Amino acid sequence: MIEQIREKAKELLASGEVKVVIGYENGGLPETTRPVFITSPDEVDRLVWNKYCYANLATFLWRKEVSSLGKPAIVAKGCDVKAIVVLIQESQIKREDVVILGVTCTGVGDPPLSKCPICDVNTPREYDCLFGEEIPPKTDINKFADVDEFEKKSPEERWEFWEEQLSKCVKCYACRQVCPMCYCEICIADKNQPQWIETSSHTRGNYHWNLVRAWHLAGRCVDCLECERVCPVDIPLSLVNRRLAKSVKARFGYEPGYDTEAPPPFTDFKPQDPEEFIK
Amino acid sequence: MSDETKTEDKPAAAEKEWQPRIIAFVCNWCTYAGADLAGTSRMVYEPHVRIIKLPCSGRIDVSFIIKAFEQGADGVMVSGCHPGDCHYTAGNYHARRRFGGFRDLLEFCGFDMRRVVFSWVSAAEGKKWADLVNEAVAKIRELGPFKEYQKLLAEDIWRKEETNSDRETG
Amino acid sequence: MSRIGVFVCHCGENIARMVDVTRVAEETAKLPGVAVSVDYRYMCSDPGQNMIKEAIREHKLDGVVVAACSPQMHEPTFRAAVVEGGLNPYLCEMANIREHCSWVHTDKELATQKAIDLVRIMVEKVGKNQELFPIKVPVTKRALVIGGGIAGIQAALDIASGGHEVVLVEREPSIGGNMARLSETFPTLDCSQCILTPRMVEVDRDPRITLYTYAEVEEVGGFVGNFKVKIRQKAKSVIADLCNGCGDCWNKCPQKKIPSEFDAGLGYRTAIYVPFPQAVPNTPVIDRERCTKFLKDKCGICEKVCTLNAIDYTMEDEIIEVEVGAIVVATGYDLFSVGKDQPNEQWTGYGEYNYDAYPDVIDGIQFERLLSASGPTQGEIRRPSDGKEPKSVVFIACVGSRDPEKGLEYCSKICCMYIAKHAMLYKHKVHDGQPYVFYMDIRAGGKNYEEFVRRAIEEDGVLYIRGRVSKIYKDGEQLVVVGADTLSDSQVQVRADLVVLATAIVPHRDAYELAQKIGFGCGSQGFFSEAHPKLRPVETNTAGIYLAGACQAPKDIPDAVAQAGAAASKVQLLFSSDELEREPIIASVNEATCVHCRNCIRVCPYSAITDKEIKDKKGNLIKMVAEVNEGLCLGCGACVAACPSKSIQLAGFNDEQVFAEITALGSG
Ligand SMILES: Cc1cc2nc3c(=O)[nH]c(=O)nc-3n(C[C@H](O)[C@H](O)[C@H](O)COP(=O)(O)OP(=O)(O)OC[C@H]3O[C@@H](n4cnc5c(N)ncnc54)[C@H](O)[C@@H]3O)c2cc1C
Ligand code: SF4
Ligand code: SF4
Ligand code: SF4
Ligand code: SF4
Ligand code: SF4
Ligand code: FES
Repeated sequence: MIEQIREKAKELLASGEVKVVIGYENGGLPETTRPVFITSPDEVDRLVWNKYCYANLATFLWRKEVSSLGKPAIVAKGCDVKAIVVLIQESQIKREDVVILGVTCTGVGDPPLSKCPICDVNTPREYDCLFGEEIPPKTDINKFADVDEFEKKSPEERWEFWEEQLSKCVKCYACRQVCPMCYCEICIADKNQPQWIETSSHTRGNYHWNLVRAWHLAGRCVDCLECERVCPVDIPLSLVNRRLAKSVKARFGYEPGYDTEAPPPFTDFKPQDPEEFIK
Repeated sequence: MSDETKTEDKPAAAEKEWQPRIIAFVCNWCTYAGADLAGTSRMVYEPHVRIIKLPCSGRIDVSFIIKAFEQGADGVMVSGCHPGDCHYTAGNYHARRRFGGFRDLLEFCGFDMRRVVFSWVSAAEGKKWADLVNEAVAKIRELGPFKEYQKLLAEDIWRKEETNSDRETG
Repeated sequence: MSRIGVFVCHCGENIARMVDVTRVAEETAKLPGVAVSVDYRYMCSDPGQNMIKEAIREHKLDGVVVAACSPQMHEPTFRAAVVEGGLNPYLCEMANIREHCSWVHTDKELATQKAIDLVRIMVEKVGKNQELFPIKVPVTKRALVIGGGIAGIQAALDIASGGHEVVLVEREPSIGGNMARLSETFPTLDCSQCILTPRMVEVDRDPRITLYTYAEVEEVGGFVGNFKVKIRQKAKSVIADLCNGCGDCWNKCPQKKIPSEFDAGLGYRTAIYVPFPQAVPNTPVIDRERCTKFLKDKCGICEKVCTLNAIDYTMEDEIIEVEVGAIVVATGYDLFSVGKDQPNEQWTGYGEYNYDAYPDVIDGIQFERLLSASGPTQGEIRRPSDGKEPKSVVFIACVGSRDPEKGLEYCSKICCMYIAKHAMLYKHKVHDGQPYVFYMDIRAGGKNYEEFVRRAIEEDGVLYIRGRVSKIYKDGEQLVVVGADTLSDSQVQVRADLVVLATAIVPHRDAYELAQKIGFGCGSQGFFSEAHPKLRPVETNTAGIYLAGACQAPKDIPDAVAQAGAAASKVQLLFSSDELEREPIIASVNEATCVHCRNCIRVCPYSAITDKEIKDKKGNLIKMVAEVNEGLCLGCGACVAACPSKSIQLAGFNDEQVFAEITALGSG
């Protein structure tokens, strides 16, 4: 499969159709990969594809350093494609301005990442060329089993859990830095006129930051797990992210990353939206 | 109603007692006017809610709620026009989506959702406003101060000494 | 540091009884930024207002907080006073310590504490307030009216009588709309043409009205007071200035068997035609899809017979650009299609009524054409299949209306009335005939309406059967209508010579596209949305665009005319000054940080935000951002809360102000 990807990359670069191919190359250490930006057809052999290709490269589509190179092609797993779809929905990139080299994927990581067993896009939903055997989408998966489980805890237990977790946050903003959907030029965390997020590192400020970060990703987060992967203090960010995903699905029947035409759920409404929490 | 029915001063003993602090974010056209109506109809209700007026419930940012808790609120109320009645037609529909999601997040993180009250109060529902305030105050009296949130400030595991200066800047 | 003045009102005893006003003044005087804090018996009285004005000068105040009654009551008063004192009105805020405090509490200590907090909130807010100035937009005093039915005609005439220019655009070759097709009108039974035609002629004669028929609105840009409109004038193939409407051309046209749209398929027209004799204008148009000259390059008779040389086969569509300040949309209605082919997949239609298969099953407009003295039968009731006079006619109500299973959930409002009219007129023409009506219930809420229906039942012997019709089948020359009589709980069968279906009123077929093109809202059923269902029933959500007639909801003629008049007076109100002054409480985008996620654009209920390109000097696109149109924003702030990067702010209610208000209540 990697041979075909390289070949396609070579062709695209040689013909000038794209100026850069965003993909993975082997990392410094064994069993790792890192993003690579190939601009010349001679370098396509650096591209690799294996189960260590965790990173969601969609985040590079809007980064100035990469977008300034010219039209990109991008190696993307089904889950990465979901992020690309959201970026298209939010007008950060136009569909015709990117060549999606979709790869079918049975899971990354060893053991597989938590998102992989509950993935329903083993074959990407949107691509220009597809590499690998098509895998029919899994049905009957519960994407929110751990969320449901956590919700069984009492409010006090939940509070305690998050208090402990969030007290660890060092506001390094790595979670934001890596997130493909955090494309704001000035993040709310950096806005100080007025000051939105308290900057000193007490837990109260961490609450505001983490609630707002999760909130800003509501209806947009595609659970690529990048934020959780990079968090230096191992805060289970995916758990909150997916609580909101569950909420959005239950309340508005919407899941991000499947439809480039759909309006993001918090910019849309239906007169009959649920309001059981309103008196 | 005659003004005579109002009670005289209560003993200043109340001063010492803990009193709930509730911040309400309301839209100008319905809930604010509903609260006005409660006033013109002299409906007596609890004095613990401080209204912050916005043009529309659609203007209310989720961060306002967090900020209110940061400032020591024990409870927050958010209120706008009934669906279909928003002065700007759709602000409350957007607000409803927003707060539906956000309340789920707060609940998930262990917030006691009795501290956050969402409502639709029309300009004609002075009584509803008074009842909601009374209800919220009674609930929060029962729950006591929102200590869990307030103590987050003190809980800095890295640089405890900074909290004081932080308190000043709010 | 700001210099704020706090003015605490006693409101006689109204506030002072329950709030210790002196303490409020004393406590708030200590707040940072407060230069002076006083209390007074009646702040709104002349001496009270003078106190404020003098204090502004004496203490060089840059902000004023009046702690008194509700701002709904006296905000204008105090803002005016502040202006007289030399301050911008938006530097004055009110703390509501009466309606929200003294009148509703009984514990003086707690009420006083609350009053202090309410003042503190406003002191902090005013500290962040900025001077704001009314937004001024110039107004082009010319209106566009789209649709020349009775509603559009009325709106155009009214605006013109107000002394303003009007551009009226009608898609068909003539104005008149559906009303021109009606025979006589309920509840008075006056002849529709007789009351309509003079109005149509007036439109034609009024020098202030420019009429474009056989034309459509192609594009609308701009905003209130300043719309730029492109109109497509379809090629009529006839030079209007030369034609005098003699009719030689259409009398000689050999294409005589084209079903007439005006007669709803019951009569015929030629390829060069005017839709009906009283048409305005009475210049014919050539239907190029039916004309032999255009189809086969043969014939050309009309050109030959026209002695005025008015025929021009080479004429092309023309784009006309006009600038207008206001738009009235009056595009009217269509009828629900009864047959099997439904334009909307949600609807299944009424195949069981065999509308497609039996020529003697017709709809209400077709029956109007049969009744009309100028219709295909000169007003004699003849059934389409064999031209015989029907001796028994069944009218069926609510075909498509009030039936979410097969059609639409709403009531079409006018059908009950026109069914009664139809049955009555039929009886007047066919004395030995029997009209039957199948209905769900009779809705005759209107002046003299109930009396009208009663007359049909009591004087004209119309038989009303309460129940639904389940099928219609043919038996010999007659139709058998099978239905339920829910009052006697029995199955009924009526033999009929003719069946008339009161089909639902639906929006004009391309209403949705038109709304998209112009930029205002449409409800789920496609009727245009009014800005507020109770308080702003003729405005749309887009400033400067108004609605008239059946395009907004099913309406009869008096309602359509009333709304048109209302829309016209709204337009005149808008045109009453050269500049439009708007409240400066509007949003604006910080282009430096906006990332063009388009959230704000999507949530704005008034489509006030659009995409903007930012280019460098050479014209290269640097980035896209959002941009607020000051003429359209109404200041709701939905965009502000929707922006993740906080790149859009609402003047008067920006985040800094709100945060200051929250912080004012801080415990720390
Ligand atoms: C069978 C029947 C009987 C009725 N009898 C009565 C009665 O007795 N009494 C009574 O009060 N009411 C009666 N009505 C109702 C009456 O017809 C309506 O109230 C009236 O016609 C509404 O007028 P209008 O101008 O809103 O719409 P319309 O008459 O529909 O006029 C709309 C006009 O806009 C034009 N148009 C549409 N789209 C565009 C576009 N995009 N660009 C340019 N032009 C466009 C159309 O061609 C049309 O000329 C009856 C209705 C029916 C169906
Ligand atoms: S990556 Fe982790 S520690 Fe860093 S800001 Fe995010 S949650 Fe906090
Ligand atoms: S929030 Fe985390 S999991 Fe969700 S899209 Fe961003 S990086 Fe991926
Ligand atoms: S956290 Fe919110 S404001 Fe910050 S970059 Fe992400 S989406 Fe933008
Ligand atoms: S919501 Fe904010 S960032 Fe997004 S387009 Fe609007 S102003 Fe720009
Ligand atoms: S304030 Fe309201 S009306 Fe104005 S631009 Fe924002 S969303 Fe639109
Ligand atoms: S104005 Fe009250 S909710 Fe919009």
